[in-house]
Amino acid sequence: MENKDKSNMGRDVIFRIKRFDGEKSYWSDFVVPAQKGMTVLEGLYYIKGTYDGSLSFRASCRMGICGSCAMKINDKPRLACETQILQLNSSKIKIEPLDNFRVLKDLITDFEGFFAKHEAVKPYLIRKDDNYAEPVELIQKPEELHAYYDFTLCIKCGACFSVCPAAATRDDYLGPAAMAAAYRFNIDTRDEGRDERMFMVCSDVGVWRCHFAAECSEVCPKNIEPAKAIQKLRFQAAVHMIKKALKRW
Amino acid sequence: MDLLKWFEVRGKSLFYISYSLHRITGLILVLYLVMHLSYLTSLRFGEEIYESFIATTVTPTFLIFDILLVLVGVYHGVNGLRLILHEFGLAYDVRRPILYLSYFLVLVLWLYASYKLYVFIVGV
Repeated sequence: MENKDKSNMGRDVIFRIKRFDGEKSYWSDFVVPAQKGMTVLEGLYYIKGTYDGSLSFRASCRMGICGSCAMKINDKPRLACETQILQLNSSKIKIEPLDNFRVLKDLITDFEGFFAKHEAVKPYLIRKDDNYAEPVELIQKPEELHAYYDFTLCIKCGACFSVCPAAATRDDYLGPAAMAAAYRFNIDTRDEGRDERMFMVCSDVGVWRCHFAAECSEVCPKNIEPAKAIQKLRFQAAVHMIKKALKRW
Repeated sequence: MDLLKWFEVRGKSLFYISYSLHRITGLILVLYLVMHLSYLTSLRFGEEIYESFIATTVTPTFLIFDILLVLVGVYHGVNGLRLILHEFGLAYDVRRPILYLSYFLVLVLWLYASYKLYVFIVGV
C-alpha cells in the first residue's frame, strides 16, 4: 500500500527547453510539478499557462495520432503526448526541436519540405481505369492487406527524418517517411503507378542515398520500420532500373 | 548541404553507433592506404630506404598500431558484410541478433589475427 502511494506521488521536474526567437538560440529552465501519468506535452502546456505564454510548440490530438508534437526529449525524438514525465526517470528533462528541420520558433520546425517530399513520391493509389462517375470496388485478400498495413500507420511526425544521417547532409534527400510511403503503395495490389513513383525513388535523392543506419526504425513512435521499407524498396528500384536499361538496349 | 553534420552522431542505438564506427574506420583505412602506398613508393628511391622503413615499423614497438589497424580492418569488413546482407531487405527481421553476431565475429577474428601478428613479430 505504501509503495502504491509513493508511485502516485508527484515530484518537481526541471524542463530545460531549447528556445529560438527568430534570431538567437538560448535555453530556458522551468520547474514542472509532475504527477503520475502526466505527459511531456501536458508539462509544456503547464509552462505556457503558468510561466511563459510565449513558449511555442505544435500539438493537436494529444493521443499519438496527428504526429504534431514530435520533439527531441532527452536527446531522442519522441511524441510529447505519449511520453510520460516520470517514466523518463530524470530530474531534468532536455527538450529540443527536431534535427534536420529548420527551426521557426522554439520547438516549432518547418515541415514544408518534408511534406513536399512525401507528395513527390505520389502516396496515393494510381489506377489506369479511374472512373469517378462509376466507381468499382477493388477487391483485396487479407494477406495482401497485411503486406502493407504496418506502413499505413505512419503519422508523418518527422522523427525518422530527424535522425537520418543521409538527410543531415542532403536537404533534398527524400527521407525514410516518404520512401516508406512509396513502398506502401508500390506493394498495394490495387495500385498501378509503381513506374511513376520509381522516377523519384531511383533518383539521386532516393533509395541509394540510404546508408542503413536504421535509426529511423529505432525512433519511430509507431514502429512501422521505415528502414525495412527502404531496403525492400531498393530491391524494387534495382529491378526497375535493370528492366529500364534492358528496354533501352 | 552542411558537411559538418557528417560528423554528428545523432542516434543512440547500437545500429547508429555501428554506422558511425563504419564511417570512422573507413576514413582510417583510406588514410592507412595512402600511407601504405607512400611506404611502398619508397622502393623507387632504393632498397636500403625501404629496408630501413621495414626495420623501423615491423617491430614489437609498432605491434600495438598493427593490432589496432587489424581491429579497424576487421570491424569495417565484418560490418560491411552485415550491411550487404541487409541490402534489399534480406534478414531484416533478425537484424538485431545479426548485429550482435557481427560484433562477436569481430572480436574473435581480431583476437586471432592479433595472436598471429604477435607470433610473427615477437615470436613465442
